[in-house]
Amino acid sequence: MVSVMNSIDTAHEDMIHDAQLDYYGTKLATCSSDRSVKVFDVKGGQQRLVTDLRGHEGPVWQLAWAHPMYGNLIASCGYDRKVIIWKETNGTWGKLYEYSNHDSSVNSVCFAPHELGLVLACGSSDGSVSILSSTGDGSWDAKKIKNAHTIGCNAVSWAPALSPNALFEQSGRPSLVKKLVSGGCDNLVKIWKEEEGEWIEDQKLEGHSDWVRDVAWAPSIGLPKSIIASCSQDCRVIIWTNDGTSNNWSSTVLNKFKDVVWHLSWSITGNILAVSGGDNKVSLWKETLEGQWVCISDVKQGQGQVTEGQSQASRNL
Amino acid sequence: MQTVQKIVHDRVTPSNPKTMSIDCGGIVSTIAQNRDGSQVVVGGRTVFKIFNVDDEGFEEKHNLRVGKHVNLNYCAADIAWNHIDDNIIATGATNGAVVIWDLNKLSRCKQEHVFQEHKRTINRVSFHDTEHRCLLSASQDGSMKLFDLRKKEVGLSFSMGNISIRDVQFGPSNLSYFNFAAADENGNLMIWDMRRNERCERQFPAHSGPVFSVNWHPEDRTLFATAGRDKTIKVWDLVKQKCLHTIYSIASVARIKWRPQRRYHIASCSLLVDCSINIWDVRRPYVPFATFDNHKDVTTSIIFKNKDPYVMLSGSKDSLLYQHVFRDAKRPGEELVPAGVDVSVHGLVGHANSNKQGKLNTNLDSGGLMAGLLHKKSTDRHDHFVDVAPYMQVFLDTGQVVPIEELSWMVESAKRYLLTGKSIEELCKHNAQVSLSLNRGQVAQSWFILSTLFCTNQCDIKPQHPNRTTSVSVSRHVDKSENDKNKSNKEVTVDTDDKTVDDGTSGNSDDEIDDKELDSRLSNIARGQINPDWDIFFGDGEPGSFDLRAMNNFTANNKEEWILPSEAFHPRHEILDREALSYTFPHGGTDPHAHLAMENELSTSVVTSPNVDQSSNEVLTTDMRLVQCPDWEYVNIVTDMLKNFASEGDVQTPVCMLIVLQDKIRPYIDVELEEDWFLSYIDLLGRFRLWTIANYVIKLSNLPQISMLNQQSTTIHVNCNTCTRPLHRSSWLCDRCKTITNHCCICHLPVKGLFLWCQGCSHGGHLQHVKDWFSRNAECPTGCGHICEYA
Repeated sequence: MVSVMNSIDTAHEDMIHDAQLDYYGTKLATCSSDRSVKVFDVKGGQQRLVTDLRGHEGPVWQLAWAHPMYGNLIASCGYDRKVIIWKETNGTWGKLYEYSNHDSSVNSVCFAPHELGLVLACGSSDGSVSILSSTGDGSWDAKKIKNAHTIGCNAVSWAPALSPNALFEQSGRPSLVKKLVSGGCDNLVKIWKEEEGEWIEDQKLEGHSDWVRDVAWAPSIGLPKSIIASCSQDCRVIIWTNDGTSNNWSSTVLNKFKDVVWHLSWSITGNILAVSGGDNKVSLWKETLEGQWVCISDVKQGQGQVTEGQSQASRNL
Repeated sequence: MQTVQKIVHDRVTPSNPKTMSIDCGGIVSTIAQNRDGSQVVVGGRTVFKIFNVDDEGFEEKHNLRVGKHVNLNYCAADIAWNHIDDNIIATGATNGAVVIWDLNKLSRCKQEHVFQEHKRTINRVSFHDTEHRCLLSASQDGSMKLFDLRKKEVGLSFSMGNISIRDVQFGPSNLSYFNFAAADENGNLMIWDMRRNERCERQFPAHSGPVFSVNWHPEDRTLFATAGRDKTIKVWDLVKQKCLHTIYSIASVARIKWRPQRRYHIASCSLLVDCSINIWDVRRPYVPFATFDNHKDVTTSIIFKNKDPYVMLSGSKDSLLYQHVFRDAKRPGEELVPAGVDVSVHGLVGHANSNKQGKLNTNLDSGGLMAGLLHKKSTDRHDHFVDVAPYMQVFLDTGQVVPIEELSWMVESAKRYLLTGKSIEELCKHNAQVSLSLNRGQVAQSWFILSTLFCTNQCDIKPQHPNRTTSVSVSRHVDKSENDKNKSNKEVTVDTDDKTVDDGTSGNSDDEIDDKELDSRLSNIARGQINPDWDIFFGDGEPGSFDLRAMNNFTANNKEEWILPSEAFHPRHEILDREALSYTFPHGGTDPHAHLAMENELSTSVVTSPNVDQSSNEVLTTDMRLVQCPDWEYVNIVTDMLKNFASEGDVQTPVCMLIVLQDKIRPYIDVELEEDWFLSYIDLLGRFRLWTIANYVIKLSNLPQISMLNQQSTTIHVNCNTCTRPLHRSSWLCDRCKTITNHCCICHLPVKGLFLWCQGCSHGGHLQHVKDWFSRNAECPTGCGHICEYA
């Protein structure tokens, strides 16, 4: 049984598209069609609105928190073709950088593992993926993978910097992995890697029959293999695994859902996958010892109990 | 006959309109359609053409840009087609001329009349719906003029200062016959009565910055839309002069048009950036209901073809004239992602979604109105579109899901685990208890197993506790086998040997007590059969000497196994190790010292059971051999176990076990893998803000790659306080000016370590000296008079 612990009324004026918890799980950022990004302090079941970031000129689709070693940074992207990086300095949030070199809606942002520096990947409806890296002196370098996905790129996700694959490479110290995975309107999942400063296609994973909506590379805490989850409008979630000994990825269909699957998120230990579908449900999945993926919970939004006190608290926001 | 046909045509949507386009040969700045939408006129700096609009495509009918003197009058900034007389077209030119064109003219040049009344660019021309001889113009010069086409003269001139007028439009004749609306560059909206030119009926600020477009709602006289450079489209209740809806576009809005037969839909195109045409539902102000993105440059002009809600015509800077069909429109509202999900470090799942039950929030300005609209019964598609508007953020507690408990156990374990400072056995047991208390049976069991496998030989420190002795002995058996593998630990501390030799009990270490007897004794204990004689032995045997020996063992064990909780002391494996005794034992004692010591030790046990039945001894011995002798490669099993924990996403357990076991297991695991685990665990601890523990783990890692982590940025650079040059060699002697940088002001010797100084008078010295001084005095030891105590 999973129950709704808490509901937060974000007071967004339109649909919420993304909610991301920071590295420590103490701050929640939400973004909405109403063009705003909101940050909440989430402590002990209480939420407090910290800031309401205005700067986008269209719906904001997705958010990403940077590793705290770079400070409190949020990247947001939206329909207005912009990527904005927000920073907290002395308790006040402000715009740190704005990137507006995409020709269409930017659908996804993802910060790279902190080992690679302050690097951000953005996927856009114009089909390209941008990689922005902070040079450290306030300016940002941009590299673009043009035509990564025809029609559009819907999601990007970075590989862990310490990929298990590295262990099996030639002897000596494994170098940091600089790879990312993207999913797009061409129904494909693609893996990209940087070689000598250029981003090239490493793998093309075919399996979905409709737009790929989200991709998520699992954290590699102790895991002996690389795992990528992808979800699509064809209602399926596919788990792609690579054992690190070759460049072959095998696929397993986690489940075929009744509705479009919008989002995926791995737990930090990388062994539980949260799947959010069009039917307003979240389900949690875990791989059994036999390699089967089983649903360990199925939550329909609204079915959990919200106690009197909690609903009171959310009203007081 | 022709009219009848046209009326019929009016009512019926063309059978199958399709998306199509034609290149006009130049930038299109404005388009207008004739009364029945069968023709469209296109104007621009270099273009002035009329096209027939058929189901099959566009067909050029006239090129009006002909004649002897093609001048600026031909460059239409705006075009209006007369609503009644299909042959009359009016254009406003950039030079301020308003030109009337009569398509019935026989000559090639259709120019009928030119009004040169305005001094600057015409921004808009507009015909009255029914008074087809009335033409209104709005100009950059700040005036609007009402022309009478019959008299070919200006009827009235309207002006409010010289602020340029960007748009005018007559009200729909059925709703407000005599009114027209105008908007100026300062963001004001004006409603005029066309019969009175002294002053406008109403005027109010509508936008910040210029208003580029106004549009009367075709059916509801109270609704009126304006749009401007401030990137918003606003819908007004003209009676109450109240803004009902605000639509936020991503760019300055150039033109707006209400969609016929759709009460809440409005189309817009942008002045810059955005090349697409958006159709908005005014109740969903951020996401367009539909989008046409065929144009490659900004769209300059949009119209609904012949009041058909499904077909639009548009002109663009990319020179194309397009017909768009709603069937082919993009629906951003249907493509957008309605839900977000994220898992926090604490195992909470955050789920953002829209609440389809339609729980409306009162925080909206127009919330009341929206609620009213929403409850209106309708099966129309656009209402579904609006339906998903609300917003909820829901947090799901996964704490009750068995497999994904919150990671609080991680935090608790991290805080409570002991990783060093005691014997492996004690650490393992402690950690097992911690795991048990957190309901993590598997991990607890693993710790117990480790404590059994890797526990070193123990003579009991407190022999009065038989239970404890038992457990120690149990572990000892296995320990032997462990030592069989680890042949490194052979050395015996001379200390211990000497002591045991001197021990009075050594007299009992006769040869007649053979190994078998000892084994049986041990296995006896192992099986939990505590010999009742045990206590007697300790009580009555040789209390004095035994105590001494126990003490000695205690200290010896201290040296052997405890890694002192300070990095100053490295694990001293060369000081060994009572277990080494037992190592040699099954092989017949190759090391004489060890053998002797062992026998001494054994004898103490054997004495306790002089009456043990010989036969039972035999049985027990065989038991013992079964347990002890097989070459059980458990180290590999342990490494497998660690890897298994890691692959299940628990790096804490393997890392902690690695630290506790140190060299007993670490040689068997890849350094890279260890590093990977350590880094993951340290990262995880960081997430829970357990910095101290993370640092502790780094310190205990014994891996250069990991230890590096807390040794970064720990260098202090100092400059000489006389010559201000950097000090290279030492912190107390400047190579350059050959002076000693800091004397202790108490002992007057250079301070080589910590230098403590007063921030008030800058005097100071050795930490200890200064401390001593200030425990007795308040003033500066140099006598400078500063009362350092309070500085």
